[in-house]
Amino acid sequence: MVIKALTQFIKSFSPATATVSAHCDGPCGVYDPASARIAAEAVLSMTKKILALEVPDPSDKEAYVKYHNTFARYVAIKEEQAHLAKTELLVLWTDYFKPPHLEAHPNLHDLFWKAAKLCSACKVEVNLEHAQELMDVIKEIHDIFWSTKNRDITWYTAS
Amino acid sequence: MAQLPEVNLWELGLWIIKKRERLRVTGSSMLPLLKPGDEVLVNPAAYRKHPPQAGDLVVAVHPRNPHQKIIKRITTISPQNTYFIQGDNPAESTDSRHFGAVPGDFIIGKVTCRFG
Repeated sequence: MVIKALTQFIKSFSPATATVSAHCDGPCGVYDPASARIAAEAVLSMTKKILALEVPDPSDKEAYVKYHNTFARYVAIKEEQAHLAKTELLVLWTDYFKPPHLEAHPNLHDLFWKAAKLCSACKVEVNLEHAQELMDVIKEIHDIFWSTKNRDITWYTAS
Repeated sequence: MAQLPEVNLWELGLWIIKKRERLRVTGSSMLPLLKPGDEVLVNPAAYRKHPPQAGDLVVAVHPRNPHQKIIKRITTISPQNTYFIQGDNPAESTDSRHFGAVPGDFIIGKVTCRFG
């Protein structure tokens, strides 16, 4: 008892500075499908913008250069954001979701597989349908994610 | 339910002569045994003579973040001497279910008792 009281005193007077983590993942454990959603929204937006670009008359040099520059930028952003969406999804899939979640949501693996494949498709193509489908799958993942936390978070988009 | 011995004079003495490391727990993956803010003593030399056993409460290096120490329990040991480590509170633990079994040299000590 004396030892216990003494160590309790030491602990309250001077808590150990070195820590050992019993965290749900290091270092932060913060997960939110919103990060994948934002990236996928950018993909959808870039896809729409690429498709809406008007091809200029090649004899108008200024317009021609401007077109190619804008086109290249849109494609680069689409590529980058689709890759980011895939990374964010894979982190959620492999780090957040655990076997009990899979039992409750047997379609989980299929959803992530489909979402990751759609990210790739959105890189390879300029396909509005696939970009929208990616958003739809991420919404399904959003619904499952928040249901595992017993929280009712309404789906929303930035655009 | 797994138990952890309370600190005794022997362990306190070993801590004073620096044969035990005192660590504060953060996070909830070892609930109900250890809650955030609890402190433990760890024996860094525990596995020099004999290997870890299933059921041991250990401190290991996070396989994805070498700067972070994690506290988990060894649940199974493979024939290749890799250790499957898990939190007592599986719903709030990232462990070998995610990063796989860890080699012995990732395990840096055995938790010997609760401090305070």
